[in-house]
Amino acid sequence: MTKKLAPIVALLLIVAMLAGCSGSAQPAATEAATTAAAGTEAAATTASGTTDTEPVTITIWDYYGEATPVKPLIEGFEAENPGIKVDLQSLDWNTTLEKLNVVLAGGDAPDLVTIDMTWLPRFAALGAFTDLSTYANGELNGVPLSEAYSEGAMKAMTYGNTLPTIMCDFDTYALYYRADLLEAKGLTVPTIWDELEATLSKLVEGDQYRYQFLADTFHGAQFIYQNGGSLLNDDNTKAVYNSPEAVAAIQFEKDLLDKGLAINWTADQGERIQGVKDGRIAMFSDGPYYMGIMKSSAPEMSGEWRVAIHPYQTEAGSYLGGTGLSIPVNAQHKDAAWKFIEYMMRTENQIELYKTAGAAPALTAALNSDEVNVEDPYFGNEKVFSVFLESMKTARPFPYVRSWSDIDASFVTALQNISLDQMSVKDALDASAAEADSFLSQQ
Amino acid sequence: MQQILKPVKRFFRKYGVAYAFIAVPVISMLLFIFIPMAISFYWSLCDFSGIQAPRFIGLDNYIKLFTVDKIFIQALKNTLLFVVLSMFIGPTLGLLTALMLNQKVRFQGLFRTAYFLPVMTSMVVVSTIWKMLYNQNGIFNTVLTNIGLSPVNWLSDPDMALISVVIASVWQGFGFETVIFLAALQSIPKELYEAADIDGANGINKFFSVTLPSLRSVITFVYIYGLIGSFQTFDQMYVMTKGGPVYRTTTIVLYLFDKFQDLRLGYASAIAYVLFFILVILSFIQWRLPGSKSTEA
Repeated sequence: MTKKLAPIVALLLIVAMLAGCSGSAQPAATEAATTAAAGTEAAATTASGTTDTEPVTITIWDYYGEATPVKPLIEGFEAENPGIKVDLQSLDWNTTLEKLNVVLAGGDAPDLVTIDMTWLPRFAALGAFTDLSTYANGELNGVPLSEAYSEGAMKAMTYGNTLPTIMCDFDTYALYYRADLLEAKGLTVPTIWDELEATLSKLVEGDQYRYQFLADTFHGAQFIYQNGGSLLNDDNTKAVYNSPEAVAAIQFEKDLLDKGLAINWTADQGERIQGVKDGRIAMFSDGPYYMGIMKSSAPEMSGEWRVAIHPYQTEAGSYLGGTGLSIPVNAQHKDAAWKFIEYMMRTENQIELYKTAGAAPALTAALNSDEVNVEDPYFGNEKVFSVFLESMKTARPFPYVRSWSDIDASFVTALQNISLDQMSVKDALDASAAEADSFLSQQ
Repeated sequence: MQQILKPVKRFFRKYGVAYAFIAVPVISMLLFIFIPMAISFYWSLCDFSGIQAPRFIGLDNYIKLFTVDKIFIQALKNTLLFVVLSMFIGPTLGLLTALMLNQKVRFQGLFRTAYFLPVMTSMVVVSTIWKMLYNQNGIFNTVLTNIGLSPVNWLSDPDMALISVVIASVWQGFGFETVIFLAALQSIPKELYEAADIDGANGINKFFSVTLPSLRSVITFVYIYGLIGSFQTFDQMYVMTKGGPVYRTTTIVLYLFDKFQDLRLGYASAIAYVLFFILVILSFIQWRLPGSKSTEA
């Protein structure tokens, strides 16, 4: 008996193993435990189901996590489009990026994915996303794109002549500051750099109430923009962040550090919110998403903080990013996915995005609406979104070049070298810019 | 025809089932290890993003790694320094604790468990805890300032960061060596020590002439196992420093991961193969080394 059974067991093991390798994770197929043939059949029907007659299921990857603005929209969308079902997969930011890397390299790509706009340089340069301009024809829900979005947002969504993503929330930096402290000391909000330094010198007490310095590209670029500089030249062929304006900008930051007016927030300082709560930080620069973090992590500080345009030297400046909605180039149901994008980008649903996720809606109409741009009691009844909208007007996205992450890393290293007193500002930026030039020439 | 088929049939009747069973691991090894390895080697000779088709570029990736890429050279240096430091401290500490525990101390089982607990804890958990300890306002710096010393920038000082990571890694790992050494110590025949006593050997003589030679094969095992592990180190840096400051804690695997994230699969594969060749050479050396298990067998 056992002798006869043995070869069968061995054979079953092999079959089971090979079946396991066939990969394509069709949950329905595995559930039914049918043969491999049935599995491929099922896959074939879903693939051909792009016609209107048969129902299709679009897969959406959503990195918002628990505060998902996508989930509440599904019911209404499905009711309006009986032929389309939505399969929502909630991932976090990191997982989305990691999974996207894998599926774009040849796997079951989702039909729609939320992307961080900072991922766009790499993915757009590789042609990973469908050019949405053929679907949009210059319009979104009947409104011309150039009217629906600010100029900066349009620039951020455009790669060459293509439209690889539709921006659904935006991120741009403004100054968060302790209004209660300024008031107590009779200080006003700084609007230019000199005022920032003067205000800080009266505000700081030892290692308390300082400006948060971060050695990253978001903040480094911000100061460079504010002094009339830029990261790369206009046609993205050469690094110019070692220009005199840029060097002076970073030198200004370095001086704040050297004078003890700014705190170098290195990896071993912990989370920013700790510094916000224990008073080490009285001013920092960040995007609208951080308002939500402050409200949930530091509710006791309600009323103490305000938001303002970040002080500048020659012009206001900030990085511009946010969340985009993209359709991978190897997605199966692009038409249906585009329908969902348009649905999600309706003004009323953009307002919902603010209500559910606390994110800043990218559509100008939604941002200016009375529901979004309300007086915020946490920030002393200030209309905070007006500040971020104002900041967006002059904000610009990071350059869209294939080697952006190499350049980014090199620039961050230069900032670390400067802030840790390893190199002078000029030397560090010169060395990094030379490195960036070689990355740009190789791509 | 029958003449040829007969022995074949007999062979299958006799061994067929056995081979079918062997086929399971063989095929799975082929599918999940050897074929991917071969594909990965081909990719290492290509410019490949994963999205566009691979473009064959010969040895360009490898040449770039060793000539142009300063970060890779830095990662190589960091990894070597990490390996040397952790392989010097870890096993030495393990042997010392094993020797102490072997002195018939009370609660030996308790200590053994205590030393081994971190080994069973996930490296990510250990790294997260140590990151908090290393915090500028963390326990270490609080203690230092309270006893009148100046605080240390554990993870942000470029000259200190790697050492901090080594300390955390050794703390997590040396319990493993302790347990291995302890087991080996307890299996050394008592007669050897009795004979040494008769010959008038003192404690130090006994350690160098009896204990250490008896541990030879275990030491080799610990080193090979540890070397391969520490060459592949990733988690600690990923959690504690992300490779910074200024690339001073970037290891080979962390750099490989970065390149993979940047969708440079060809380049990442080349890095993987450089690491692979390093490990192959190391394993080969240990295999030829006297005292290793394979030469004794």
